[in-house]
Amino acid sequence: MTTKATSQTSVLRLSNIDKKFGQTHALKNVSLEINHGEVIGLIGENGAGKSTLLKILTGIYQPDSGSIEVNGKSTKFRGPRDSVAAGIGVVHQEQSLFTNLTVAENIASGSKVASRFGIYRWGQINRAAAETLSIIGSSLDPSTKVSNLSFVDRQMVEIARAIRVDSTMGGSPLVILDEPTSVLERSETAILEREIRKLKAHGSVIFVSHRLDEIMRNCDRIMVMRNGELVADRVTSTVTEDELFKLMVGHEARAVSSSHRVVAADEQPVISVENLSRKGKYSNVSLSVHAGRLTAIVGSTGSGREELARALFGAEKFDSGSIAINGTKVTGWRIAKAVKRGVAYVPAERKVEGMVGGFSAAENITLTHPGKAAVGPIVFPLARNKIARTWFNTLDVRPNDIALDLARFSGGNQQKVVMAKWLNSPELSVLVLDHPLRGLDPGAAQTVNEQIKLACSNGAAVILLSDTLEEALEMGDDVIVMRDGEISATFDMTKESPSTLDLLERMV
Amino acid sequence: MANPQSSATNSVSVDTAAIHFSDKKSKASLFSRYTEPLALLGALVVLVLIFSSLNPRFATIGNLQNILSQAGLPLIIGIGATFVILIGSIDLSVEGVMGASGMVFVLMSANSRGGTDFGPWAIVAGIAMGVVLGLVSGLIYTRIKVPSFIVTLGMWYVGLGVATILFGTESIPTLTSDELAIWSSQITLGLPNIIWVASVVLVLAALTLRFTRFGRVVLAIGNNEEIARGSGLAVAYNKTLVFVLAGALSGMAGIIATMQLGSGSATVGSGNLFITIPAVVIGGTALSGGKGGVFGTALGVILLTTLNNGLILSGVSPNFQSAVSGAILVLAIVATAWSQRDRLRISK
Repeated sequence: MTTKATSQTSVLRLSNIDKKFGQTHALKNVSLEINHGEVIGLIGENGAGKSTLLKILTGIYQPDSGSIEVNGKSTKFRGPRDSVAAGIGVVHQEQSLFTNLTVAENIASGSKVASRFGIYRWGQINRAAAETLSIIGSSLDPSTKVSNLSFVDRQMVEIARAIRVDSTMGGSPLVILDEPTSVLERSETAILEREIRKLKAHGSVIFVSHRLDEIMRNCDRIMVMRNGELVADRVTSTVTEDELFKLMVGHEARAVSSSHRVVAADEQPVISVENLSRKGKYSNVSLSVHAGRLTAIVGSTGSGREELARALFGAEKFDSGSIAINGTKVTGWRIAKAVKRGVAYVPAERKVEGMVGGFSAAENITLTHPGKAAVGPIVFPLARNKIARTWFNTLDVRPNDIALDLARFSGGNQQKVVMAKWLNSPELSVLVLDHPLRGLDPGAAQTVNEQIKLACSNGAAVILLSDTLEEALEMGDDVIVMRDGEISATFDMTKESPSTLDLLERMV
Repeated sequence: MANPQSSATNSVSVDTAAIHFSDKKSKASLFSRYTEPLALLGALVVLVLIFSSLNPRFATIGNLQNILSQAGLPLIIGIGATFVILIGSIDLSVEGVMGASGMVFVLMSANSRGGTDFGPWAIVAGIAMGVVLGLVSGLIYTRIKVPSFIVTLGMWYVGLGVATILFGTESIPTLTSDELAIWSSQITLGLPNIIWVASVVLVLAALTLRFTRFGRVVLAIGNNEEIARGSGLAVAYNKTLVFVLAGALSGMAGIIATMQLGSGSATVGSGNLFITIPAVVIGGTALSGGKGGVFGTALGVILLTTLNNGLILSGVSPNFQSAVSGAILVLAIVATAWSQRDRLRISK
């Protein structure tokens, strides 16, 4: 690869890019410039227009107006192929590799693959892949199937694909990292950050993340989007995290109160679990949560907390032990029964388990607990819309269109709708939350957190599997630590104040 | 805590994404890579043992050749079906295409109605009929985005209709050459001709999947069509090509079936769809696409043909034959799919 020193000419320049989807004005006159060797941080709430902007850069959407210049030349991306040919590569948030193909094929995919009359030249393909991999310091075997790789190695393949040697016309690739860290472990994040620094020598990077500390640490310049506009473009050293938050959300961060409700001595817990076990997953788990209290469960991969949470909702079986709701032991625990007893579950796999794509937001909200929207089997659209509109206002869902297909909303707004679906129940007694903040921007996270607190103070017992230990310590009235399927520690936050280190010690 | 985002500072991520992937990793280990074909071979051996004990005529060279001749047609069709299923689609038009192609072949060969004998061009024309029908299916499927299930269901009857129209109202066209009629079951080097043809197709198909851009793109589309499109691959083009290939192979099968029958019939292909699609699935090709291959299909076809042959030889009453084969098929598929059960799996 020839790296031209082109720090004067911009690698990419967007001028007055505008994009509408029906009533929604997704991008308003966005102009920006990226220079060779720069790492740009792109931040904004869910629905601020980041995804639309990225999709325009990758040729998936075409702008209604405005122009794109690559290496000083005006270009049009009619499809992903044009964008790839211009040297723009993406590392997606959710990994986007063909797991049934080899590392080398994945790196080559989309660009010219060495072949003669359509017949693959495996030797050449593997050599080119090895060369690209060596640029990022990886020694993966190009002929391995991706399904055999670990998560971090897969991310390496994604990065290699994004910078693949032969596809770059001007010699300066632009790599877009779309929230790559949201699904990474801490040590893996460190590896990724090292990669970003290496990439600077070869091209430019757009780094999208919700974690402001990461953005501050890795980027030369930070661009903030809000409501489809680019509201700020700052050199990193001139801003603080608090300023960025304010620029993104449009208001100062609100303080979250953290008073703990005290439980009377003879009060019956809403949910109590005794000696719950499932072979190979968890064993002898006992816990109880009272009305208005939040129990956070922390644990690393394999601690069994996900399986436990799913069992509480009746989504997975357990082998022995018992679950009691309001003092009565449950039998034949299934999802349908759990829902009837007021148990709600916000799953980690939102798109697969939490929502019905293709249904409108309003339909999703009233799916499980229709309230006044249905009498028996008959649905009343007007009543349904009224309920949905109330929730949209309460949760500040954007775009404010209850009839829009839920799949079209951004992640954070989808999560708000999924929350609303359960909060719409008048009999909500137990709220089980599996990573409710995963992939959410700070603003949406705050809204969801406030709703959790509200549900809690309205008398629900909440069980939270948090993304981070800080979240657990901040939200929990009780914090339970699980290790290898067993409870290794329980902290009563009204009496103790453990540090993240205390939790970590009991996790590993 | 003041800011939600400041809580993310120095956060210790206890994320769990990795767990999903470690599962997949173990499934793809070297050991399990061979368990599926080995299980199929095991099932085949068990079948052979059972049927041999029930009827001494089962385990004879003659019957083996018989089974292989019966396996020829489903194998040729099954290879096309494997490609279609690898991209996550389905082709139900097989029998209709066979009828139309077979009819074209008969009418262009020396037959009892007279007319011109085009010789080998009759075969080319028959396959071309399959190509056209496959192309139409593929284009409607990819351009108008109608589910392949519906498009090919319609094309099935379109094919039957084309054959019926070509047939017209005259007498049944019968092939006058006896050589053609017995060609497919003739033995060359110990094996029936049809199985030689099928083997050549099988090897070519396997090479295509492993070594050509088309084959790799088929696998990529089946794995994740969205990513394939995002990577700039020509998704619609290659999907259409898959239906053209399937059409051509169905056409070929229609011609051979017509040779075997000795005369033109719109329903020459009947019964073939029923065995082909289950054979592909039993052979390890996932209905969701992206996983599988043609050798598995070959094993699946042999297994099901052996089963049918064995049931007849063991004296299962013809009245029960169809119910028994149906039930066994469902059982076989359940057994095959058992290992792929998944919490998040949704079947439609």
